[in-house]
Amino acid sequence: MDSTMTAPPVAIAAGGAVTALGLGRKPLEQAVLANASGLRDCPRLAGKGFQSTVGGYVPDEVWRSLRERDPAHADAPAFLLADAALREALADFSSGGREVLPVSPTAREASCESGVLDAVPASRRGLVLSTTKANITALEAALDHRPGSVTARRHLFPALLAADLAAAHGVAGPAQCVSIACVSGLLAIQQGALLIQDDKADLVFVVGVDLFSDFVLSGFTVLKSLDPVGCRPFDTERKGLSLGEGAGAVVLARRETLPSLALRVTGWGSSNDANHLTGPSRDGSGLALAMNRALQKAGVAPRAIDFVHAHGTGTNYNDAMEGMALRSVFQADVPPYCSSKGLLGHTLGAAGLLETLVCLIAARHQLLPGTPGLRTPDPSVPDSLLQKPRPAQSLRRLLKLNAGFGGVNAALVLEWGGG
Amino acid sequence: MSQFAVLAASFMGAEGCGNDLTRLRPWPAPVAEALERGEFEALRWRALFRSEASRFGRMDLLSRLGLMAVELLDASFDTMEPSRRDAVGVCVETRFGCTAADVLFLQTPMAGAFACTLPSTVLGEICIRHRFRGPVLCVLPVSGRGGSLEIATGWLHRGEADACLCVACDLMDKRFAASMLSPHDAPGEAWQSCAVWIGRPTGAGREHPLGSDSLPRLARSLVASGVPARNPGAGVS
Repeated sequence: MDSTMTAPPVAIAAGGAVTALGLGRKPLEQAVLANASGLRDCPRLAGKGFQSTVGGYVPDEVWRSLRERDPAHADAPAFLLADAALREALADFSSGGREVLPVSPTAREASCESGVLDAVPASRRGLVLSTTKANITALEAALDHRPGSVTARRHLFPALLAADLAAAHGVAGPAQCVSIACVSGLLAIQQGALLIQDDKADLVFVVGVDLFSDFVLSGFTVLKSLDPVGCRPFDTERKGLSLGEGAGAVVLARRETLPSLALRVTGWGSSNDANHLTGPSRDGSGLALAMNRALQKAGVAPRAIDFVHAHGTGTNYNDAMEGMALRSVFQADVPPYCSSKGLLGHTLGAAGLLETLVCLIAARHQLLPGTPGLRTPDPSVPDSLLQKPRPAQSLRRLLKLNAGFGGVNAALVLEWGGG
Repeated sequence: MSQFAVLAASFMGAEGCGNDLTRLRPWPAPVAEALERGEFEALRWRALFRSEASRFGRMDLLSRLGLMAVELLDASFDTMEPSRRDAVGVCVETRFGCTAADVLFLQTPMAGAFACTLPSTVLGEICIRHRFRGPVLCVLPVSGRGGSLEIATGWLHRGEADACLCVACDLMDKRFAASMLSPHDAPGEAWQSCAVWIGRPTGAGREHPLGSDSLPRLARSLVASGVPARNPGAGVS
């Protein structure tokens, strides 16, 4: 029944990012290696009554450079971020993915000379956008009777933002827009991989974006879910999450078209807790279902997983639930696991993409990333929690997890290797 | 697999509501008039169904529309074995998402209102009500492609689900749409909601080719014409 057993393997060919750490993947990579945090106090939020003014927001100088580069979208920040992340991913892909994949000089030369991106017709390029609130700042402006461009208002609607990103990047093939809370990013990667496996596209650009908006800050303030001092995932003193903003992009392609080592997307699974709209199931059974589905799809046993990149928001309920889900799937042998929410904040629709890029960095460096913000590990969660980065003996199979409002859960199995 | 089997279909819109057994029935005059004025609170659960829906009054309007379309299927989900609910996929599509809930939250920032500010909130409500724990996805179709029927058919084909619920719902204030969107982008219909319950092809004459129709158009035509050999609860037990 499962046609993916014979479907072509799909891999991440290139990546791009804009985060609280700066423009591009490089600052993200440096922070992962150093276990640094991009969270900081945001002066513009002072006096607005939010539960916390700490977050992972994109620095002002990055915004300035993005607006100078593309003044037509100056008041369409979701487009600016997504576009910048995609540009980096596509430049990376066109140059043979040298920043993402440690390819041999010969292979890199070959891909540069052949102009791999230009060689793929627009009709065979696909795009999947992941976002929860798109250009929500346009709605805030409209209701405040502040001026806004037609484009900014248009991008309030995620499908129209996806259409404009596709047009801007020469995509005439299938375009999709996934918006399913905080699992949007992982399910967008899943959808991108399926477009290639189903032979609807040769290349798929998957991009996730969300903004550090007053709208979302207000929402998590009224839910009393923000940690005033910054999130502390899996910590005994954790008080809630920190919001972030940014964009992450990956280019997906058939594995056989890529040189040397690559990070393959080998399994995926999703589920619903069928339990509560804003809280996770207390026993972790929904996330465990998604994990088991992803492992089954990848055709691997739990013991084959070398590392888990957890959702790890820093809320009491999420982290406790995740600990139980990990124990349910891995029993007593929970692999080393970490959270990047203290690195970037919770970037919502971008989280799945950006955290997959963290997995890529980890695989490339054969490093187990740490958990920025974690001081005192909660004794109730599995003790394989990674507080600080450390070298991996062999990092081949990675499991990426996310969960979100509406009881949704998602898991992705990624495999690093050659051939 | 480029086909799926339709087990049941429902549709709600300005013209009325119904499923493939009852066919499309016009709204009672007071409801129709209220809907014409954009007063969607007029869509009360008890006016259409005998069952209970304790959370209905607390839901945002988009979730109410989606949940009503699923209930309208008359598919007897309540008799489904618990183990089978883990193999039910739910895919929601919405063109304009939760902008009505977004506006409401900005005007009245309360926790209950914030919980509804995701296009996928309706999916969560459906899964909570019917205890569905299979694969899930919420998409906002771009250029009419990549909709829920295609996604759900893929789940069936790859063995990721045994049956799927595809739901499309939209609700947009026309004045708000006009203020935010160009005439080209603004929705033609202010609101509609529909659901189609599908399974793998069985040769029972309920097969439909993928890609010939959008979900709302398919649901509308099935409700108008009926699903062959359809029984209440078909495909559930």
